[in-house]
Amino acid sequence: MTFGGGFAMSTVLRHELVLKRRWLSDKEFVNTFSTATAVPGAIGVNLAFIEGRRLHGMAGAIAAAVGIVCPSVLVILLIARFGAPYFDHPTVAAFLKGSAIAVAGQIAFAAFTFARRLRRHWQNAVVCGLGLFVLGIGLHPIWAVAAAGALGYLMMRERMTPYDATDVDEGEDYK
Amino acid sequence: MQKLWLLAVAFAIIGIGAYGGGLVTVPLIDHELVKTRHLLHKDEMSKIVAIAQMTPGPIAVNAATFVGFRVAGLGGALFATSIVVLPGIMILTALGYVRGWIQPNQHFLRLRRGLRAGVLSLLLFAIWCYGQVVITGLAELAIAIGAFLILTMFEGKVHPLAVIAGSGLVGLLIF
Repeated sequence: MTFGGGFAMSTVLRHELVLKRRWLSDKEFVNTFSTATAVPGAIGVNLAFIEGRRLHGMAGAIAAAVGIVCPSVLVILLIARFGAPYFDHPTVAAFLKGSAIAVAGQIAFAAFTFARRLRRHWQNAVVCGLGLFVLGIGLHPIWAVAAAGALGYLMMRERMTPYDATDVDEGEDYK
Repeated sequence: MQKLWLLAVAFAIIGIGAYGGGLVTVPLIDHELVKTRHLLHKDEMSKIVAIAQMTPGPIAVNAATFVGFRVAGLGGALFATSIVVLPGIMILTALGYVRGWIQPNQHFLRLRRGLRAGVLSLLLFAIWCYGQVVITGLAELAIAIGAFLILTMFEGKVHPLAVIAGSGLVGLLIF
């Protein structure tokens, strides 16, 4: 039931999965979120799918995906069927406007938690900068992601430290 | 029905191209549904974007449900929605199968490290774009910052959806 699309959805998902139910560590969430973003399609659905699979195999994956899609489908169906007159109502519009703004704050929060996780290595800032540059000049996000992945790959080459090794074991074990 | 086929192809393409967040998906949807296949009328397009932004769920999914419903009723809605999430899910399933050897693979790990920072850049860019659209004045900015602060300070204790609803109520009062 998240407004505003994939990125905002990530905050709610993180809240539910990492903070409230503790099914995931923050680190695992960040990793999974990156994979979900790198794959085409709705980020929220992909995320749900991955986590569902991790927690309960394929059945869990499907259940999670269906679950995350259901509320939206329901709401949209109701709107498509009955809702047209309501959208021009000023009260509704005001409420939705307020919510939309909160979504902006939410995406900012998502970025904040993400950055917090990544701030340990300066290389991350550089890769992020490259991504922003690619996006800034107007290229499709897939190029930003590709560039980030490539640069990250090249930069990490130098750093095969034990820290990397433990990073692999911790939280990298999917079921 | 020929329309069903059009629906399927359109949303399959959208499902593959839905990359990097909802904002990117909009031009794609516009092209596939309005310009080429005429499944949607131009003015309806902007209405749908507004609706999709304000309702739960990813834009691509919402658009699929809505247009599917218009074209072929409930079945059409479910059909289009399934199609639009399929590409991502198929890729993820495929990834799942190679998980055994890809997980510990150093190249994959390095790539994903880069990916994470790349995702951060996407998030930041989304904040920028989204913020420009939604924050049209001081009041809006204040609400956005307020939402962000609340989420940050009460991380884990306040549910993000509550913040959104709360902002909606604030919107009611102010706008």
